[in-house]
Amino acid sequence: MTTVQSTSLADRINTTLADLLEEDPRVLLLGEDIGRLGGVFRVTRGLRERFGADRVRDSLLAESSIIGQAVGMAMSGLVPVCEIQFDGFSYPAVNQLVTQAARIGDRCNGQVTVNLVVRIPTGGGFRGVEHHSESNDALFARVPGISVACPSTGEDAAQILRHAVTLGSPVVMYEPIRLYWRRDTPARAPEPARSPTAARVVRRGTDLTVATYGAISHEVLQAAHALSAEVDVEVVDLRWVAPLDLDTVLESVARTGRLLIVHEGSKDVGIGAEVAAAVAEHGFDSLRAPIRRLAPARRGYPPADFEAEYLIGVQDIKDEVLVMTR
Amino acid sequence: MVLKSESECATVPDDGTRRSMLRHMLVARGVDEEACQLQKHGALDLWPSCQGQEAAQVGSALAVGPDPTVFPSYREHAVALMRHVAADELFAQWAGRTFCGWDPFRSRFFPYTMVLAAQTLHAVGYSIGQRLQGREDFVVVYIGDGATSEGDMSEAMNLAAVESAAVLFMCQNNGWAISKPAAEQMRTSLAERARGFGIESVRIHGQDPETVFSTSSRAAAHVRTERAPALVEILVDRIRGHSTADSQEVYRSADDIARARAADPVSAYAARLSRLGLVDPAWLDAVDAEVRELRERLVKEYA
Repeated sequence: MTTVQSTSLADRINTTLADLLEEDPRVLLLGEDIGRLGGVFRVTRGLRERFGADRVRDSLLAESSIIGQAVGMAMSGLVPVCEIQFDGFSYPAVNQLVTQAARIGDRCNGQVTVNLVVRIPTGGGFRGVEHHSESNDALFARVPGISVACPSTGEDAAQILRHAVTLGSPVVMYEPIRLYWRRDTPARAPEPARSPTAARVVRRGTDLTVATYGAISHEVLQAAHALSAEVDVEVVDLRWVAPLDLDTVLESVARTGRLLIVHEGSKDVGIGAEVAAAVAEHGFDSLRAPIRRLAPARRGYPPADFEAEYLIGVQDIKDEVLVMTR
Repeated sequence: MVLKSESECATVPDDGTRRSMLRHMLVARGVDEEACQLQKHGALDLWPSCQGQEAAQVGSALAVGPDPTVFPSYREHAVALMRHVAADELFAQWAGRTFCGWDPFRSRFFPYTMVLAAQTLHAVGYSIGQRLQGREDFVVVYIGDGATSEGDMSEAMNLAAVESAAVLFMCQNNGWAISKPAAEQMRTSLAERARGFGIESVRIHGQDPETVFSTSSRAAAHVRTERAPALVEILVDRIRGHSTADSQEVYRSADDIARARAADPVSAYAARLSRLGLVDPAWLDAVDAEVRELRERLVKEYA
């Protein structure tokens, strides 16, 4: 197994936020406990001391207030980068995100540029209590006007954040909690993405394409490396689930002829369904086998003692790949 | 009354201001009447009438002046017209042409917000954002009584209070959240609720634009000098339904509707200024001609 040591996701996001604050006086951070405490995951530690309480703002414990005031701040010309403490706490902010942040640019006939980023720690696998392990990326992916990024490495998160603050429309960036402080991860192909919004081929292969994103992309890579003697798996890290970079997926499937989609959010009406439908519509002739999806069943995230059986593991991925290539 | 008077601020309207207020009220009424007509003929899809609320809107808008950015709800047509939003621009979204027919930044009158109370948090955030950038941070946000039940309103009042944001909350309480009467919506006045959040507030009747002007001037002076929020609750009558899609006769007594019509602030103020000799029939005829011409242009554009 090939693993590499790298800067942790949390560290890389921290330094990127510091750089953005340094470079652009319009950027400010807003979230619960991000200042004095440095965030519950310490992603923003040291930033309040360095940039002051005006720019690294400890918000009220009210998610609608965070996004609602950020919309107003963006309209005034600032670039708020918000943090929602856990994915499961994003619901009170949904109204402001969906009906306001996503639409205010159109409502103003394009006269306002809403540079607004919402960072949301996501996903399970760390024995979180109820609501602390959810994966809601598909929820916002359905909303026109919101872009949704799901980086799985510090390098990608840095590139995506830098792009997000200049996009002119809201970006939700999901940060996998279980990757925040992980330093040894499976090796990835070094080739860069074509653009900040493009997917990335993180392992070249010839037999089957796995399209994936977020924390579970590491389990996919682990499975691919482990199977390398039997099956040559290509892995596409989507990096963004809205809008999707389907070109990269279609090009990959044109090479391999098989597509498996793996994600941590539940399967029904999920991102995998959209990718599968798009490839069926536009890449059917490339396919040598039916497209398959591997994702948790449609049920609430379980108590921590049962999360191992809920989450998709390396063995599940290996089994699925072997079924598809047998 | 909790708000303190500010001696440097003109809180009593002079005669020119009084005539100006009547003129704005008459124009707003004419535009509103035309919108209702156009809706009846299918030229507008919907219209939320502001009839009965003209004194509250004109008095408050004139009191705060042209500088603060206004975050309206969706019924502040008189305020829009005073911010130089043209009547045809105001109609555009109700005819399905756009989501906002005017330039929100030039007029400093931001788009109407249909999701109730969402704009209250934008207003507070905008004020904070302006302050952080060293720019004019005085912001006025309009809200109706119904929308104050939304969580965002409470969040915005608390946020404005703890951030000491220069936000003036203008609440027009017309007594109805579509069909739900105010008595069933809340147990305290909105002014009292605001004070619970640490926001200075006052509650007034909104039939007389001069009362609204004076009170709003003092409230604006409070926001400007203290750099802290304030709330003015203005009790108004809703003459027509919630919108043109709504038959208020279904849920509202005929007596109550008749009472609201009899208390019409526009005709009351016209009669008062006539009695005082501040306006004469020639002045009223001139405004009438102006309104007629405006309505003809609107018919040409939309009918």
